[in-house]
Amino acid sequence: MAKHKIKPSIPRNSLIWLLIAQVLVIIPLLWHVPLWIVGLWLVCAAWRIQVFRMRMQFPRAIVKVAMMVSAAFAVYLSRGSLVGLDAGVALLLTAFVLKLVELRSKRDALVLIYLGFFTVVTSYLFDDSILAAGYSLLSVTALLAALVGLQQTVLAGRPGKTITQAAAILLQAIPVALLLFLFFPRLDPLWVLPAPKDKGVTGISDHMSPGDIAELSQSSELVFRASFAGEIPAQNQLYWRALTLPYFDGRTWHMQNMTSDLLAPEWQAQGDMLEYSVIMQPSSRTWLYSLAVSQTEQKDIRLMNDFRLQHNTPIHRTYLYQAQAWPEALAEPKLSPEKYRFYLQLPRDVNPQARAWAQQLRQRHPDDESLVRAVLRHFNQEEYFYTLKPPRLGKHSVDEFLFATQTGFCEHYSSSMAFVLRAAGIPARVVTGYQGGEVNRTENYVQVRQYDAHSWVEYWRLGFGWHRVDPTFQVAPERIEQGLQEALRGESLNTGLFSPLSYRHIGWINQLRIGWDTLNYNWQKNVLGYQAERQQNWLKGLLGEISWQKIGVSLVIAIALLFAVISLWLFKPWQTRLSETQRLLRQFERLLAKRQCVRNPAEGLRAFQLRIKEDLSPQQQIALEDFVHSYEQIEYANVPVPSAQLQQQLQALRHSLAGR
Amino acid sequence: MSAWRHWLAAWWSRRLPAQTRVKLGQKHIFIVPTLAGYAFAAALLLMLMVAINYQNSLAYALTFLLASVGLLSILHTWRNLAGLQLVGLPTEACFAGENARFPIRLQATGRAYQAIGLGWSRQKMLMTDVAKHSEQQVELSLAVKRRGKHSAGRIRVETRFPLGIWVAWSQVDLAQSVLVYPKPIAAPLELAGVAAGEDEVEGLATAGRGVDDYQGLEAWQQGDSLRRVNWKVWSKGQGLWVKQFAELKGAQAQLDFSSLGGDVEYRLSVLCAQVLKLTQQETPFTLKLLEQTIGPGTGVAHQAECLTALALFAGGGHG
Repeated sequence: MAKHKIKPSIPRNSLIWLLIAQVLVIIPLLWHVPLWIVGLWLVCAAWRIQVFRMRMQFPRAIVKVAMMVSAAFAVYLSRGSLVGLDAGVALLLTAFVLKLVELRSKRDALVLIYLGFFTVVTSYLFDDSILAAGYSLLSVTALLAALVGLQQTVLAGRPGKTITQAAAILLQAIPVALLLFLFFPRLDPLWVLPAPKDKGVTGISDHMSPGDIAELSQSSELVFRASFAGEIPAQNQLYWRALTLPYFDGRTWHMQNMTSDLLAPEWQAQGDMLEYSVIMQPSSRTWLYSLAVSQTEQKDIRLMNDFRLQHNTPIHRTYLYQAQAWPEALAEPKLSPEKYRFYLQLPRDVNPQARAWAQQLRQRHPDDESLVRAVLRHFNQEEYFYTLKPPRLGKHSVDEFLFATQTGFCEHYSSSMAFVLRAAGIPARVVTGYQGGEVNRTENYVQVRQYDAHSWVEYWRLGFGWHRVDPTFQVAPERIEQGLQEALRGESLNTGLFSPLSYRHIGWINQLRIGWDTLNYNWQKNVLGYQAERQQNWLKGLLGEISWQKIGVSLVIAIALLFAVISLWLFKPWQTRLSETQRLLRQFERLLAKRQCVRNPAEGLRAFQLRIKEDLSPQQQIALEDFVHSYEQIEYANVPVPSAQLQQQLQALRHSLAGR
Repeated sequence: MSAWRHWLAAWWSRRLPAQTRVKLGQKHIFIVPTLAGYAFAAALLLMLMVAINYQNSLAYALTFLLASVGLLSILHTWRNLAGLQLVGLPTEACFAGENARFPIRLQATGRAYQAIGLGWSRQKMLMTDVAKHSEQQVELSLAVKRRGKHSAGRIRVETRFPLGIWVAWSQVDLAQSVLVYPKPIAAPLELAGVAAGEDEVEGLATAGRGVDDYQGLEAWQQGDSLRRVNWKVWSKGQGLWVKQFAELKGAQAQLDFSSLGGDVEYRLSVLCAQVLKLTQQETPFTLKLLEQTIGPGTGVAHQAECLTALALFAGGGHG
């Protein structure tokens, strides 16, 4: 006789939760995968529901293969590759969706649930905000409910009960998970994996033409948050440098990679030291934001020759780094002849007027410093305007700005000043980055958004090194002292109708916004930023000297303790667990005790019955006898009397006793 | 292999001896990961790889949360068996070739039990739930091919609830056995050695219906044969009454093992069919099994006695 192996089918509760979980898992990834996957998912879901309603058949093997192959091809077409994170996630999601139409047995459901967990993990690579994390808990609970439903019998109740059980287990698991999170050693990446593709990341770029930074100011996107070990320095000291742009082509300042970039710059620490840490949002760039002159002990960051900090790989995730800065440091007191020439580079045939003005200034001010001061004074005293919407400039952009429009944003000022200084023979460069930031008093940090983007100038003097100078300050000091919002009182920043920044003048909304921001800051700092370095610092503070052995042992002990507590709570050994029969006997005793008939501890039930029955009416005696008889049958004779019968007899006894 | 099994069985009977009522306790329950559990661990490992390589805190967090859920489900799965009380209920006899049924009562004390599986093989488990403070009766059935007394043996009790990644199990022997009567084979009766011939038996069956012989009921007295007690009446709680029959004349049915041809099992099967038939016809009969003689008598009790004798018949090995 041939034996057919019947695969156990999927219980209804599980199927319901599986479908819900799938929707929940897919939604956050919709923005990162090709849209046709949604269509595919709808087709597959409809197909599976029709199968459930017996209107359609499961696809045959050949159809499944065809679907897999064409889906993979479609991924290749829309992603241009089958490797890489984006294509990988698209493939994972396709598999996750296609698995739906061959969801027959419990094993298929299991595969789908595990795939779901994995998909949730990949979604963290795209978004690891608090909201995303909170949302993913929903998906995980639904997936767990599907897993629980898979084990339930047909007798199990409503789907609501299933998810309650799943949520209960999840909640109980939190303490142990927390311990593991804190103590499990953070390892270095075992191998390099493809990173998420950049999706139009805004931010400082490696070149700057007039209008670029003004455009950036339209965005209120967060760039980074910085916290200081001590007091937060004054706003006008917060010049967060990202890049220096040494090469000018007549219109645009460019970053230029030089071999000397990799040489450590010459500098001497002077004055006070600032200790700060920065949590930056993913930028897809390698450069970091720092105060001049900064140094860090982090291995993957280096101080470049132009005093910028650079990470060895592009930043694709929220990244935390710590650094020390010496604002008064002596930076590069000596410049090699090549570099000296390099920082004087100017294209020929542009901006003749500006060149001529530079020559005049040079004649009047042989001293570099007084020349710089004269340029600043020029910006300060002439009719210059600071605006987000400057007029367009032509070929001789510096000339037009200096002598015609006199209206511009920071890049106009820094660009023309650097040009004039170079034309006057002073090595100079444009620096781009962010200036200022909004101070959060509750957590003592500064948060910098895209509209804080700024550019300024550095010039060089023999023996004194590089000096920062900001022409914008001469035109719009409030920009530097109070931020862009104040400087542009007339022009409204385009932060959007729905951005809470648009309502910062309303007190409670602003409070909410700041509170939310504080929460995000802590999230980034303490949760997302909890990597090797932070973990080691924290453990050092907790356990003193770190040895992984010690940590391993304490982790195991702590988990065992937690388990003991949880199992005590689950099993409640202090509660006596009575069988139904014994429970009814207790009720019986309590019922009679109310009539002053108390059973002695050593007294047999029969003896007790004989002792008390004299006081009872014949009807009551019968009810009593019935109960005692059934009890004996169950407990001693092992006769299959259902406990429901015993309960009825107890009820009858109660009625007859009450009847008198 | 067999020695190992033997040893295992002995070990089990020391740990959890056969008894009608078993409350699953600490030392009776074992817990091991299932195949799905190993797959779960593999999935977690994969997730940990992602967390390490992308240095993603949330990936770490989810991996640890699920690992913790997995560990915690040991307690849940274990708890879903601990304290469950199993009672082996009396069985009903059946015929060879039928399914013997073993009724088992599951009693929950204090907490609900979900998805409890019972059975002899892991592939065929009977699943049931037991609500809090209640009991659930299930019936395991086992195809029996041979007559005799069949013990239920050790029954596997297991649960994979809630996550299916662990299985908690035990093996209980509820001291249940079932009496299996021979498979009835309807063959023409060859009642050798009976005074009356086949025709007369038939005639008696058609004409008599036993009514003439049946005199009525009389109160039971010391010394009366228990075989003649009217059990139907007794079971209604109306006391012990004895059926009175008129003296049966020569034409009395006699079923004699030794008068039949064929091998032992065949003869028992033929006798079994006759016992059923005669009882249905309410014809008094005597059953002779070598040294053992039962009857004359009729009625359900008589039938049961005869069938039991047939089921347990051990002699006549020589045929």
